[in-house]
Amino acid sequence: MAAAGSGGSRADNGYGGQQPRRRKGPGALATGYLVIYNVVMTAGWLVIAVGLVRAYLAKGSYHSLYYSIEKPLKFFQTGALLEILHCALGIVPSSVVLTAFQVMSRVFLTWAVTHSVKEVQSEDSVLLFVVAWTITEIIRYSFYTFSLLNHLPYLIKWARYTLFIVLYPMGVSGELLTIYAALPFVRQSGLYSISLPNKYNFSFDYYTFLILVMISYIPIFPQLYFHMLHQRRKVLSHTEEHKKSE
Amino acid sequence: QVEPQATVADIKNLFSKSHPQWYPARQSLRLDPKGRSLKDEDVLQSLPVGTTATLYFRDLGAQISWVTVFLTEYAGPLLIYLLFYFRVPFLYGPRYDFTASRHRVVHLACCCHSFHYVKRLLETLFVHRFSHGTMPLRNIFKNCTYYWGFAAWMAYYINHPLYTPPGECHLSLSPVPVTVIVTVTVTCHCHCPHYINHPLYTPTGSKARKIPYPTRNPFTWLFLLVSCPNYTYEVGSWIGFTIMTQCLPVALFSLVGFVQMAIWAQGKHRSYLREFRDYPPLRSPIVPFLL
Repeated sequence: MAAAGSGGSRADNGYGGQQPRRRKGPGALATGYLVIYNVVMTAGWLVIAVGLVRAYLAKGSYHSLYYSIEKPLKFFQTGALLEILHCALGIVPSSVVLTAFQVMSRVFLTWAVTHSVKEVQSEDSVLLFVVAWTITEIIRYSFYTFSLLNHLPYLIKWARYTLFIVLYPMGVSGELLTIYAALPFVRQSGLYSISLPNKYNFSFDYYTFLILVMISYIPIFPQLYFHMLHQRRKVLSHTEEHKKSE
Repeated sequence: QVEPQATVADIKNLFSKSHPQWYPARQSLRLDPKGRSLKDEDVLQSLPVGTTATLYFRDLGAQISWVTVFLTEYAGPLLIYLLFYFRVPFLYGPRYDFTASRHRVVHLACCCHSFHYVKRLLETLFVHRFSHGTMPLRNIFKNCTYYWGFAAWMAYYINHPLYTPPGECHLSLSPVPVTVIVTVTVTCHCHCPHYINHPLYTPTGSKARKIPYPTRNPFTWLFLLVSCPNYTYEVGSWIGFTIMTQCLPVALFSLVGFVQMAIWAQGKHRSYLREFRDYPPLRSPIVPFLL
């Protein structure tokens, strides 16, 4: 799922800096670490963005740009797994389950679909979600960096809570189209599938699993999307009031 | 307007008369909005209130009785497993409908599984005593999905025409006779700990609690080492079932069950330690000496 949604649940949890709740935030060491983490991630996704632009300029077309940013994409998207640890340790006030769900879905798409099914790597749908993820993540990580430093420019906050309106559907479309494109190759090669009889008395059909994943987007995407819209109204109107009262 | 000797339960009854949509089981009354719920048997006189008391009400949501939930969630696996065992149509290919497996272990597995759930149903009806009468309605859907889902998943593979019994593949563990003996023994574990555990409440029906101790019954000797031997035996029997059937979904079910029961056991252990000063120090929550 596009990370535009992944910020949703954390948006109202202490990072906004404008929330009236008095929560015991992370200690100084944890804050320092988190700032470094978020800066590194922002830089990483900027590298991916720059890589995309350079490859586009060099090639002259927007097809098959995946190959030029494959390694940094894998590295930094997988690095997001640390965020689950952050929640588990309590230095980030988000739900472990929600964060895990969101990060795992990204990692799943990166490794279990795009990496594993080589034939889809040249699809345009891959570019669609990579661009969506890149822009979203750059904004999201810089948002967290500034929030931790208690110096959040309104522009970043606005960007985070507005651009998702376009980026989230864009990312989801890219993801779904990529999974759909991968289906025939999975069926053909029997990727990650095991059939009876075998000594574990277990069977798994990756093809069916991918179809179920696609179907699961139907209930999940609208929920996350409307949650973000709701957050947007809350956070941006709150800032309006705050400004008026100054 | 109530007597000083009135209990919280009486108040709840009166409240539900004036607000019929909130039956007593759904009410949570407390003296402080952020405090703990008052128990039904608390007497008004013993609470720190004057001549007028302010009680805060919270709606716990639709409730359903524990007994109903337990009966439903245990009856499901019993029936579902049998559907797969008898290979009812639409589960496997049409040429397998109503056929029987040729492996002895499959029949034995059905007996063990069915016996297990029949035992659980009987316990729910005749042995268990619960501290609360009800639980939130949502739980029945959650619990039934878990039990029924796993039962279907396990039963599908064990009763599948292409099932590979242990002993036929040279890489599997132990020959069939030994695993069968192990499983049957452990599955038939007496739930005597339950008889001790739940009659934590004295026979007079009051809800006073006492530490459970081993008796002459050998199955209760595990109380020497463990706070919740019923969970220990439960995990043991599912591990036995896993070894007997050598089926991955069964192993996963055992693992998930173990994690959940370990969490419950640790909670219970901690509440025992809080409640009883002289709690035996040797005991661990669920796995002797380890967990």
